[in-house]
Amino acid sequence: MNEDKSNDIFIFPRWSWVLRPAVAVGALGGALYATIVVTFGFSPRATDVGYAPVQPVPYSHAVHVGQLGMDCRYCHTGVEQTAHALIPPSQTCMNCHKSVRSNSEKLIPVFESYSTGMPVEWIRVHDLPDYVYFNHSAHVRRGVGCVSCHGRIDTMEVVSQQEPLSMGWCLDCHRNPERHLRPVEYVFQLDWVPEEDQLALGARLRETNDINPPQDCNTCHR
Amino acid sequence: MPPMKSEDTTGPVYWRSLEELQRTPEFREAVKREFPNDAWDQLPPATRRQFLKVMGASLAMAGLTACRWPKEEIVPFAHRPEGRTPGVPERFATSMEMDGVALGMVVTSYDGRPIKAEGNELHPDSLGALSAIAQADVLQLYDPDRSRRLLLREGGQQYVKQWSDFEASAVEDFGGDGTGLAVLTERSSSPTRSLVRDRFLDTYPKASWHEYEPISRDNEREGTRLVFGRPLRVHPKLDAVGVVACFDADPLFDHPSSLRLAREFAGARHPESGAGARLYVAESSFSLTGVRADHRVAIASSRVPVVLARVAHLLVAEHHIELPAAAAGYAGEAGQTLSGEETRFAEHLASDLANFQGGGAILVGHQQQPAVHALAAVLNQVLGSTVEYTADPDPDRPTHLQAINDLVAAMRAGSVQTLLILGGNPVYNAPADLRFGELLGEVPVSIHLSLYDDETSQRCTWHLPRAHGLESWGDGRAWDGTWTTRQPLIAPLYDGRSALEVLALAAGMEHTTGYELVRDNLGGRFRVLDFDTVWRRALHNGVVGGFAWETVSPRLSPGRLAVAVDGLRALLDAAPPTSERLELVLTADSRVWDGRFANNGWLQEVPDALTKVTWDNALLISPGTARDLGIDDGEMVVIEAGEASIEAPAFVLPGQARGSVSLALGYGRTAAGQVGNDVGVNAYTLRTTAAPHVISGAKLRGTGRKYALATTQDHFAIDTLGFEERNLRVGTLVREASLDAYLANPEVFHEHEHHPPLISLWKDQAYEGEQWGMAIDLNTCIGCNACVVACQAENNIPVVGREQVLNQREMQWIRIDRYFKTEPGLRSDEIDDAEVVFQPMTCVQCENAPCEQVCPVAATQHTTDGLNAMVYNRCVGTRYCSNNCPFKVRRFNFFNYHKDLADTTMMQFNPEVTVRARGVMEKCTFCTQRIEAVRIGARNDNRPIADGEIVPACAQTCPTQAITFGNLNDPESKVSKLHEEKRSYATLAELNIRPRTQYLGRLKNRADGGGDVGHGAPHGEADGRGKETA
Repeated sequence: MNEDKSNDIFIFPRWSWVLRPAVAVGALGGALYATIVVTFGFSPRATDVGYAPVQPVPYSHAVHVGQLGMDCRYCHTGVEQTAHALIPPSQTCMNCHKSVRSNSEKLIPVFESYSTGMPVEWIRVHDLPDYVYFNHSAHVRRGVGCVSCHGRIDTMEVVSQQEPLSMGWCLDCHRNPERHLRPVEYVFQLDWVPEEDQLALGARLRETNDINPPQDCNTCHR
Repeated sequence: MPPMKSEDTTGPVYWRSLEELQRTPEFREAVKREFPNDAWDQLPPATRRQFLKVMGASLAMAGLTACRWPKEEIVPFAHRPEGRTPGVPERFATSMEMDGVALGMVVTSYDGRPIKAEGNELHPDSLGALSAIAQADVLQLYDPDRSRRLLLREGGQQYVKQWSDFEASAVEDFGGDGTGLAVLTERSSSPTRSLVRDRFLDTYPKASWHEYEPISRDNEREGTRLVFGRPLRVHPKLDAVGVVACFDADPLFDHPSSLRLAREFAGARHPESGAGARLYVAESSFSLTGVRADHRVAIASSRVPVVLARVAHLLVAEHHIELPAAAAGYAGEAGQTLSGEETRFAEHLASDLANFQGGGAILVGHQQQPAVHALAAVLNQVLGSTVEYTADPDPDRPTHLQAINDLVAAMRAGSVQTLLILGGNPVYNAPADLRFGELLGEVPVSIHLSLYDDETSQRCTWHLPRAHGLESWGDGRAWDGTWTTRQPLIAPLYDGRSALEVLALAAGMEHTTGYELVRDNLGGRFRVLDFDTVWRRALHNGVVGGFAWETVSPRLSPGRLAVAVDGLRALLDAAPPTSERLELVLTADSRVWDGRFANNGWLQEVPDALTKVTWDNALLISPGTARDLGIDDGEMVVIEAGEASIEAPAFVLPGQARGSVSLALGYGRTAAGQVGNDVGVNAYTLRTTAAPHVISGAKLRGTGRKYALATTQDHFAIDTLGFEERNLRVGTLVREASLDAYLANPEVFHEHEHHPPLISLWKDQAYEGEQWGMAIDLNTCIGCNACVVACQAENNIPVVGREQVLNQREMQWIRIDRYFKTEPGLRSDEIDDAEVVFQPMTCVQCENAPCEQVCPVAATQHTTDGLNAMVYNRCVGTRYCSNNCPFKVRRFNFFNYHKDLADTTMMQFNPEVTVRARGVMEKCTFCTQRIEAVRIGARNDNRPIADGEIVPACAQTCPTQAITFGNLNDPESKVSKLHEEKRSYATLAELNIRPRTQYLGRLKNRADGGGDVGHGAPHGEADGRGKETA
């Protein structure tokens, strides 16, 4: 027999028809699953919050700020004047550690940096995209406390990201700043709690300090 | 096709290119394509398989991008220098030197990287402004093609060497009393270099010293020598009210003091404060000064002496000006026949010069012979002009041509054993008849210090990498002698050394670092205990007070004047050029200058002011001459001059003198680098010592082959219907009037606004705080391109290359529109001369912005201070906004232009501005980063933003201060007041887009009171567009 079968079309057998609803359910379910995974799984809240990389020096904010009571600005000198809070030079560490714990093994990278002039390579925790131009001074000078974005740094052995730092999160505050405003003198006091209702205080501060956070795109994107 | 007659017969016709005016088939074909900058039709058709491959790859990538972005490190200083805050830009005063004149500038440094050069307000030649070329010098610093090591070329081999090797061998080469030793350097005004040169010549008394520059003002210097008996430096002043006559001179652009001159010219040109000088220009090719002229006549360069001599004759014969006895020869009837146009020009000018005695100036271009300069100097002297003189700083220096001639003679005689070439590129730019390159090969030891391993380096035995100006210590003198300091902003990237250091090394000096040399030299001039304070102040200010030369009041020197009169007479007898015996004028290029900036992408891509050509030089030819010779626009032509000939594309430029063709020097480099190699044609091959600027008897022959010049002039063109419609409108886009008409009726700029009532579909936005706006004064804009480069440097705008410019994909945010203007009713084949008007065009930040209304993803938005913000990371690249933009000022990233840049080039990026990726639209932001920086600072200090505190990059660098930026909500701000001026108008007001940038109309101040109102098209009731006026 020389029957040419190349033109025959394949027809699904009748028994396979029962699978049709299953395929439909599978497709819909898959789409739903993908949506849920992308929405919640890939959101900054899931991927970024809690990010706590291991630093070359196990510097503890809990010890320095929480127990010893150092001011944020001792190290982060630019925070009131410039866009960047600034990570301190090794020299700043050595102001004390020349005499305090000057034999500690944990501090070896700092000692090395101080003597060789090469930097300590810290790992950035709060990392904004490159197209975002955040300015520390603009927030700190208006009475937005460090704690609002960074959390209770003074209790952290290892610094971790506490807030999603997403655009929606930024805008929440730019739209309703009352929840995060405090008198300027308490900006660096991480454990400060208002004596009155935060919203009432925030509204009053907003009025007196003339705070109208812009929501224009070019405020942060240039 | 038959030449088209412009339909509009009542007013002048504005057009951008001859193709457009003629509606040639090529042009029609080009505008037919709806999206000319799309290249779909040029791609091979995509197959299904390709499509699946691409889609598959995209999906795979999509999975990768969803993760958290990569780990980033923060590397603080180990020891932070005192007073230094990382992330805060610092500014340092320094300078750059070109052709022996130091130009002061202030360079912004970001974390140790110089990123942008601005002018130094304290420097007399800058006054805060900076030319396009000087600004682009920053890019040169980061050029990856710069030479990185010492090379020794011997016996056909090339060896990489160290400085220590050179130092060792230099001991042998520079031995004895200097017999057989010659030095060839660039011209330099550096006092420290003079000192080191003297030490060098003390050590080697038999050595010879030569200074060569291909472009110089030597003719002017020799002219003053003829008149006054000693060389003087000429200082024109343009701020005095009166009359300025330019004969082939371009004081607004190519003078070492052009930034100051442009400021003076513009300062006097505000009709509210005075009429300003009446500007007469006679020139062979359009210059920027010529564009601004009230009276301009296009004459061949060899006709310039004739017309000037006629002016002198008229002054004596008709206006009874007395010439001193020695110069009486000038008064005689020149006996030359002048064309009607030339005669009218000479008559108007002579009577104006006679009327404005004591308040006028005659300026002559550097390509004119010394005898012509001499005549101008005599007339200036007799008429009591505003021109000032100082003694020449180096009176014994031979002319540059003489210097290189002497050197070549010595090389030919075989008496040069060691040749030290400090900077420059003589193999490329020495006159061709000297055959410098061949002779150089016969010199046993030749050493070239250069930024690049260029044409000259490749013929030398030693190549030494040179430190860039921003990497080295130095000093120099401004045109008026002001002591100018130069300090490095960055350590040498490629182990280079400065010319000063190499010379000091060769001289065997004790201190050979630039810092010590420069500091010690300045220290020697101050007898103070606390020199350190003086030094720090000098570095801070960039200039040292009290060193400008004193002006002199020279007296005519009778003996030499006779020579000058005879010299002029010889020039007058030359036969005028014709189409068969053309005159070829070699000019310095407006962008790459003498060729030294050939590898600078910013400059290569800036469209030339007049031709709008990028990435090429072209032979400029007048329409009449082109018709005579049967040469088409864009046709490759063969130019024969003397024994040499080259092929170059022709560019038909209305306003070019008949019988005179121009070609810019500086192109056709073979060892410039990746950017500059083989761009354009090398005009130096036609240049001889006998005729370095103006070559007569040149012949031109068409080849019939077309060459695509990457010009931006027809970009964003529209079809015939659109052309006609636009022609009705150009008069309202670029508004002009004569000064008399304006003074008689200040409303003259608004007479022709007709549109139906403007009703908006949108609700008006209320502005509480600031509302930014800009005013651009067309009366002072000179079209110099400084703003274009400033914007490019400030805003990380990519260079796209010639191919992409041909595809209409140039990226500069500022476009300087150049319109030719001709009388109505002229057929396109009758056009020869034309007027030119410039209009800088960038995003005008419309209040009712058409772009915002069509963006499907809200990537362009109105902000609370009135800007159209462009949100790059939201843009999906539909380009609807660009299609809907009536000004065509939006630019689209067709590629990831920044991706493949060298690491060093990326160091130039301004970190305050996002680097845009492929598929994203961009446009002028009014320098929003500068606005935010000032706003945050002012808010931190709890004070309002002062007027003038925010200055966008374009306004900052504008030599004429034609651009003003400020808050429109403040009625006292400068910009509000300018918007209130009668000359101020909004472009395309009839579209109800309400632009935030307004233009101030241009005025003409002709002697006969003429000069027309730009808008003359049928309007009002006649075209049934309604009667309401805004």
